[in-house]
Amino acid sequence: MYTYFYFSFSYKAKKNTRHMSLNQQDLDPDSSTDMKDVTNPEEELIKECEEMWKDMEECQKKLSLVGTETLTDSNAQLSLLIMQVKCLTAELSQWQKENPEIIPLNEEVLVTLGKEEFQKLRHDLELVLSTIQSKNEKLKEDLEREQQWLEEQQQILESLDVLHSELKNQVVTISESRIFDELNTKMRDVKEFKEKLLITLGEFLEDHFPLPDRNVKKKKKKTNIQESTAQLITLHEMLEILLNRLFDVPHDPYVKISDSFWPPYIELLLRNGIALRHPDDPTRIRLEAFHQ
Amino acid sequence: MSVLRPLDKQPGLNTATILLVGTEDALLQQLADSMLKEDCASELRVHLARSLPLPSSANRPRIDLIVFVVNLHSKYSLRNVEESLHHVDATFFLGKAAFLATGAGRESHCSVHRNTIVKLAHTYRSPLFFCDLEIEDFRATMAQRLVRVLQICAGHVPGVSALNLPSLLRSSETPAPEDL
Repeated sequence: MYTYFYFSFSYKAKKNTRHMSLNQQDLDPDSSTDMKDVTNPEEELIKECEEMWKDMEECQKKLSLVGTETLTDSNAQLSLLIMQVKCLTAELSQWQKENPEIIPLNEEVLVTLGKEEFQKLRHDLELVLSTIQSKNEKLKEDLEREQQWLEEQQQILESLDVLHSELKNQVVTISESRIFDELNTKMRDVKEFKEKLLITLGEFLEDHFPLPDRNVKKKKKKTNIQESTAQLITLHEMLEILLNRLFDVPHDPYVKISDSFWPPYIELLLRNGIALRHPDDPTRIRLEAFHQ
Repeated sequence: MSVLRPLDKQPGLNTATILLVGTEDALLQQLADSMLKEDCASELRVHLARSLPLPSSANRPRIDLIVFVVNLHSKYSLRNVEESLHHVDATFFLGKAAFLATGAGRESHCSVHRNTIVKLAHTYRSPLFFCDLEIEDFRATMAQRLVRVLQICAGHVPGVSALNLPSLLRSSETPAPEDL
């Protein structure tokens, strides 16, 4: 097993010899002065290789004497591990013993070797370059995509912020007590207005629709015109009665005409459509429902 | 009944020979073609065999690397490989042998469990590769890897010998040494 590295050295050397011989023919095809230098390294190398080959053949002979051994599943691991230990220690000791042989430091040899190494290096570097370039491209594309996404998200965020602030301004802080107070104020205003209206109505009615004079009634008593002796109520009071009846008993808003109603005023109300007679009973009237 | 020995013959100049053992002829042929397409400094030779022992012929060059190809879809291929293992000299397993399991991609068709082949590779202390040889891209990548390993086994890579391979190619899946 420890002859492995022998083989590796010999292979490399043989390969280089072949390359070298080709290259040297390219390098100096016509120079005659360098002939000796040209052939010498080549001959040297070939001699070295031949020696190595002979060594190898000897080793090969020794190896062929070694017996064979096959494995079964049960003993495989253990025997293999033991063998590995032996071989690896042998290889290690061989590496430690052996000084690396340098091929003759000849200019042509070095140049050829150098060229080869550099070409290999260049090839590998080109591969690396193309890989990295394509990786770069991909990364650029990814970056662009991500930036676009970020922009869109920022736009969305901005518009959402604007919406948010707008809505915030619109929303008035709703508190129960405020609503309550508002309603109270409204009711109060409405009530005030109602009072005002009633007062104005009363004043208006007093001014323009007064009750007839009492004295006149007493005078006409003798002339046999039936005048009601009951206390007359003002038009205001009449309207009040009608209004209350309308709202208290909506399904029967009729009021019986009593003697306290002054007939001319009843006529006035009826003729102007403010009051209506009962369809079956002429003695009953109701207020027109202006609100319905 | 000849047992395959790693160093029975002299090596050829700048040549490296790989032996693919497996029952899947078509797949082996395709893998061989992919390997020969790889550009490699050494001359490659690929031999195919259904099973070992090989018919004895003096023309066969020295084998540098044996790859046992197991198809996880058929138990027969596993059994075939297991029987062939007995015709290989023990020194091959010091890095010059490897296992290749194909067909792991289609779980439903697998009749051989992954762990079986993992255990087998572990028993023989050899590296195990998983590759679906039917898919061309994977096959090409695997061919590249095999060519590199073959170069090391043939000694064409200075500084690395086949003895280093089992420890270099140890994957995280193989059970820890405590499981011995």
